[in-house]
Amino acid sequence: MQKTGEPVGVLVGAAGAAGAGSGPEEAGGEPGGGLPRFWPLLLLGAAVVPGTALFLLGRWGDAPAVQAWRTVCLAVTVQALPFLLLGTALSGAINAFVPERVFQRLLPRRPGLAVPVAGVAGVVLPGCECASVPVAASLIGRGVTPAAAFAFLLSAPAINPVVLTATAIAFPGSPAMVLARLLASLATALVMGWLWLRFGRAEWLRPVVRHTGHHHGRSRWDEFRTGFQHDFLHAGGFLVLGAMAAATFNVAVPRSVLDTFAGAPWLSVLFLAGLAVLLAVCSEADAFLAASLTGFPPVARLVFMVVGPMVDLKLIALQAGTFGRAFAVRFSAATVVVAVACSVLIGGVLL
Amino acid sequence: MKRSLQAGLLVLCGLGLLHVSLFTDLCLRYVKEGMRPLLVASGVVLLLLGLASAVLDRGRKDAEDESHGHDHGSVPGVAWLLLLPALSLLFYAPPALGAYTAARQPAKPVATHADDFDPLPRTSPLPMTLSDFTSRVRQDRGQAVKGRSIRLVGFVTPGGRDGGWDLTRIILNCCAADAQSVKVRIYGGPALPANTWVAVTGTWHPGGKLGTGSAPVALDARTVTKVARPTNGYQDALPLG
Repeated sequence: MQKTGEPVGVLVGAAGAAGAGSGPEEAGGEPGGGLPRFWPLLLLGAAVVPGTALFLLGRWGDAPAVQAWRTVCLAVTVQALPFLLLGTALSGAINAFVPERVFQRLLPRRPGLAVPVAGVAGVVLPGCECASVPVAASLIGRGVTPAAAFAFLLSAPAINPVVLTATAIAFPGSPAMVLARLLASLATALVMGWLWLRFGRAEWLRPVVRHTGHHHGRSRWDEFRTGFQHDFLHAGGFLVLGAMAAATFNVAVPRSVLDTFAGAPWLSVLFLAGLAVLLAVCSEADAFLAASLTGFPPVARLVFMVVGPMVDLKLIALQAGTFGRAFAVRFSAATVVVAVACSVLIGGVLL
Repeated sequence: MKRSLQAGLLVLCGLGLLHVSLFTDLCLRYVKEGMRPLLVASGVVLLLLGLASAVLDRGRKDAEDESHGHDHGSVPGVAWLLLLPALSLLFYAPPALGAYTAARQPAKPVATHADDFDPLPRTSPLPMTLSDFTSRVRQDRGQAVKGRSIRLVGFVTPGGRDGGWDLTRIILNCCAADAQSVKVRIYGGPALPANTWVAVTGTWHPGGKLGTGSAPVALDARTVTKVARPTNGYQDALPLG
């Protein structure tokens, strides 16, 4: 019975989510109690609305702009899903299998020292930025000091071997660019970690209550599975939200606008930082895009590659979902400033 | 969100991914070929996770969730957004990027050739990629393309001042969000609808000084024939075979 019921609820939910983002309430609210008094109206609505919606969707959905939007949105989602899955599986595993004392032994006791250790540890998580948010959340849940977890969150997508190799391929003959990216990303991650130690407030963080670790009397595998499932569904929803925002920008603003900013050095740095936030290109690919922005000075392109993996629309959505909106807004804004400063300093010396 | 619905959502996502990566080639409209094994693996994992959830969590619903009221039971409504890509992948997959995107972008800058160009093969007409043709026209001081009959394959992007069209390829680095395009102006061909894949044979359209930036990246078409979209449509590669 459940199987046949699902698609209907699912379609209603989809229409609701597309319209107002309040699908489940609408889907769940209808079949309560007896028949409402205005049931003929409901019946008429049920008969007419889906057909009209489908018709309009068909007419409007085939316009080239809408098709391009759907393609880009789906592409960002499909590209990120495997990495999100990796990240949420890892976070589920950390939560269920790794005892708290492991992290206490691995990381230095003093938070000020734990930050650089965690930042450098970002090397080990291969993949792009979507994987690092759930992992950082589960680290905090296992008692790692938030400052160290944030240093890991920022450094992991930018300094892992896959991304650095891609950068070396995209900028053949300029190893300085790879080194500058590594150093600037690491510096930003550490500075942000220390800033959080100094100025961060626990109340900006949504209490991470769902990661409660292993309970006695429950199977660890079962905890792994439910945690994995919860984190994936949760983060996946926010990923789709971010992909929609990025696709809207991608389609609405033609690429030719970019070149008007290439001339002025300071303007181009700020402009490419903003572009990195809005485009939400995966950190494994952004080096190729940066390489193609030939009109821009190297420092501006470095800024693009340092900011991109740390702050972009889909990451802000993911962080808002995981750590809370109060955190995501402050943290992302501060990260952009620190990242631009670090890359201008390091890029100025090396490039 | 009920547990049965969570399971259904996971299964749908898994099926969607498997549908585009394992059973059809649809995923090549959005990502590169190299992502395919990862997509298949993700689809399998999601499917198994959903099925496991449907089977294992069936018996113990509410009693357990109440005792651990705060943890994994509740998933916020935003998770429903995953339904849109899942259903879209299954039933309503949007087409590959084409003329609309290409028309709104400047052509991708071609990498500067460090060393001298090799001599061109003697075959005629000579198959070339669009990027290759561009760098030959703009950078080859030896002017090897002069007078040669050249064959290019791409799709039609209409527009421009003189009512002509551009032969276009869209190139991906990672996914369709970072698409870039290479274009060659075609003169003398028939007017064709946007996104038609064609093979064009012709000679370089004279203008400026060949081998410098002043030379137009353009072809005087002699024949234009329709072809099917190649499976590697997102690369600027030679047609296979």
